[in-house]
Amino acid sequence: MTTIVQADGEIDWGEKRYLIIDDFVGIRQLLRESLRNLGAKHIDQAASGGEGMMLLAKTRYDVVLCDYNLGDGKNGQQVLEEARLRNLVLPSSVWLMVSAEKSVESVMGAAEHQPDAYIIKPITEGVLLTRLNRVWLKKQIFREIDQAYADKDYLRAARLCEQQIPVNPLHAIDLLRMKATLQLKAGDPLGARAVYLKVLEERDYNWARCGLAKILMHDGEVEEAQKMFQAVIADNRFYIDAFDQLAQAFQLQGKHEEAFDVLQKAAKLSPNSVPRQRTLGQTALKLDNIPVAEKAFRKCIDIGEYSVAKTVDAYFGMARVCGRKNDIKEGIRLLNAAVHQFGGDHVTLRAKITEGLVYHETGDFRRARKAGDELEAMLAEENRQRPDTATCLDMATLLFAVGVKEAPVGLLCYIARNNHDNVPLMDEVQKIFDKARMGDEGVELIRSSRKEAADMMNKGVLLWKSDRLGEAIDWMRVARHALPHNMRILFNSAQILISRLQQTGYVRELADEAIEVLMHVDAIVPGQPRFAQLMEQLAMLAPVSGVVAAAAASEYEAANGAVPDR
Amino acid sequence: MDDDLSQHYQGSPELLMFLASTVHDMKNSISVLSGTLEHLLAAAPAAALAAAPAAAPAAAQSDAQSDEPQYLQLGQMLYQTRRLNDSLIQLLALYKEVGKPGYPFDPVPHSVRELVEQVQGQARILLQSRGITFATDFAPDAIWTFDEELVIGVLVHAINNAIRYTRDRIVLSVRVDGEHLELRVEDNGDGFPPAMLGAGANAGNATRAARGAAVNFSNNSSGLGLYFSSEVARMHSHRQRHGSIALENGGVLGGGCFILRLP
Repeated sequence: MTTIVQADGEIDWGEKRYLIIDDFVGIRQLLRESLRNLGAKHIDQAASGGEGMMLLAKTRYDVVLCDYNLGDGKNGQQVLEEARLRNLVLPSSVWLMVSAEKSVESVMGAAEHQPDAYIIKPITEGVLLTRLNRVWLKKQIFREIDQAYADKDYLRAARLCEQQIPVNPLHAIDLLRMKATLQLKAGDPLGARAVYLKVLEERDYNWARCGLAKILMHDGEVEEAQKMFQAVIADNRFYIDAFDQLAQAFQLQGKHEEAFDVLQKAAKLSPNSVPRQRTLGQTALKLDNIPVAEKAFRKCIDIGEYSVAKTVDAYFGMARVCGRKNDIKEGIRLLNAAVHQFGGDHVTLRAKITEGLVYHETGDFRRARKAGDELEAMLAEENRQRPDTATCLDMATLLFAVGVKEAPVGLLCYIARNNHDNVPLMDEVQKIFDKARMGDEGVELIRSSRKEAADMMNKGVLLWKSDRLGEAIDWMRVARHALPHNMRILFNSAQILISRLQQTGYVRELADEAIEVLMHVDAIVPGQPRFAQLMEQLAMLAPVSGVVAAAAASEYEAANGAVPDR
Repeated sequence: MDDDLSQHYQGSPELLMFLASTVHDMKNSISVLSGTLEHLLAAAPAAALAAAPAAAPAAAQSDAQSDEPQYLQLGQMLYQTRRLNDSLIQLLALYKEVGKPGYPFDPVPHSVRELVEQVQGQARILLQSRGITFATDFAPDAIWTFDEELVIGVLVHAINNAIRYTRDRIVLSVRVDGEHLELRVEDNGDGFPPAMLGAGANAGNATRAARGAAVNFSNNSSGLGLYFSSEVARMHSHRQRHGSIALENGGVLGGGCFILRLP
């Protein structure tokens, strides 16, 4: 407790920069008066969300007091989201959301952008000061943890949580929650599970129940997980995260109708989530419910406009909807719009696949074949990167369907080489061969592809074990080039680079190379224990801990798009 | 559960939006009204404030303040505004079905010291303006799990109620009593009438049968507040134990005591 008391004494709220956003002039005056009584000198005011955004773009405020209900235009939540997306608020600044009554958003559990605190009118100085101090202190406690998290040094971040718990009993629950999240990121579901169970001994926190159920779901105990999500919803009808997870549990059991119902309810409760509308649209499409799919994808495109979650999937989904409605022209227009807006080889390729699917589904086999031929030509270009596994599978399926043969075989072998020890995926690949009446050839092709990958990996391991690290590093570069998505090769590659650094001491180029490899593998298969271990080893080698990793991480994201959060 | 949900939302979205924006307006008006009154009272003539400190005997306070009828009237206005705000908070919570799964109930660990600070901060000017001495008694490092907004609402309401009936003193005390947190608002007035003591006990039982007693609350002016408080108490539950409220006479100041117990 002494640290808390000390912290109170240290904060000088008088020197901070404040922004008040409220459409009601009386409230603005009142809040300004209250802030002045706390000693504040620098106070700006905005009467609308738009005006607030303009001021936020000019000045880095320490404290923002924003009304949730701003009349016409943006609401407070949208102002907050846009400000965070455009990086107009510092991580250290405090965002207080002011509302007339207790908002449902405050307990939804997974709102993408939560304010630091909600505060209910009428605001008195005492409450304002208490909340400001509380948020400030919490930010102090989490500052180092958040930094390690941003550096993807999950193991260190989790240890920092552990260290803070005994000195900050008031935040023990928040720290445990963060620790569990970090353990999941670090590929330690058993550790996270233990944390959730420990918390649940104290109280029935819905986030802990959901967290536990998610782990059960990943472990294949889907029915048990389903019941837990349902229990959370029965307890709190607004806990939106439980709805999203429940839908996934139903999907995993092949109960698409049930998943669809749950997603529709979730979308009604909280319609402004891009991923939720996308999942709803895709599920509706699977069930041939074209009106709902159309509505969901349209909404997804609308709300994605200003969101970091903006997704090209919505355009592809909408194009499929147009195909089902026999409006080919509009479908093709959407695909062109997607290519125009998102750009890149990957999007162009996926647009072409979707085009082929739309033609194929509407029975225009001639144009579908033409799309297939164009895809084949695209794949033949040497310098083009192959897309992710799911897209490759879609593409192979389509190409076989329109009668192309060589290109899809090449794609499936590519998948086999890059995932040589992923048995369920190999079964999926075999099924596609079977469907194309190439069952026997498929068995042989998969076998030889897997062997090719295993040989490459083994050669690297052999060089490493015999302590020929320089040669091992060179060989792994060759292997990485040939198999850019093979998780085992990527991890070994990073491991060998780190071994080298441990021998020679820190070398910037090698460390950067290792980080780049690790960022790539974390983007394609997040939540691997080896990722967390190697990041920690690397962080310990770096002269300035963390900074290098953070820079590399943001460079990686700038070049390849945001690394998805699980 | 699923039927409830669809009914809740398919009922009448326009009416819901309309109500929400009206509530927003009303809250703004009350905020400005009570904020302005607080600022006026805080800046009121030194004579009135000088007499207010806790050490001054009650007689001296009322003498000093009778010289300032405007000050007293402002105090009365603030008191009435707070009552309006209390009732609005309570009606809103009940409209949102406090106690049911639809209510955004959010119990997390809080520092008891921060709770007391915030309650005190909300009541301070009003208490001063009425010349009432306010004392607190709590363990500064205690931590308890509860829904902060709801519990502040209950305590501020209890204090506003005590302001009406006390002679000149109110105490807010919080202590950990075994597996409960006990929060008491006590005054040195004449205490609750016997009929009210019964109502409090009923509310405190918090069993389904006793909820019928809610009808009895509404026969007097404290009905809504007590009903709200008992629902808030009941919503707090831990390992099959629920919170409760009680009304007593006596306590450390010999007047009325409002008691909220949270598991």
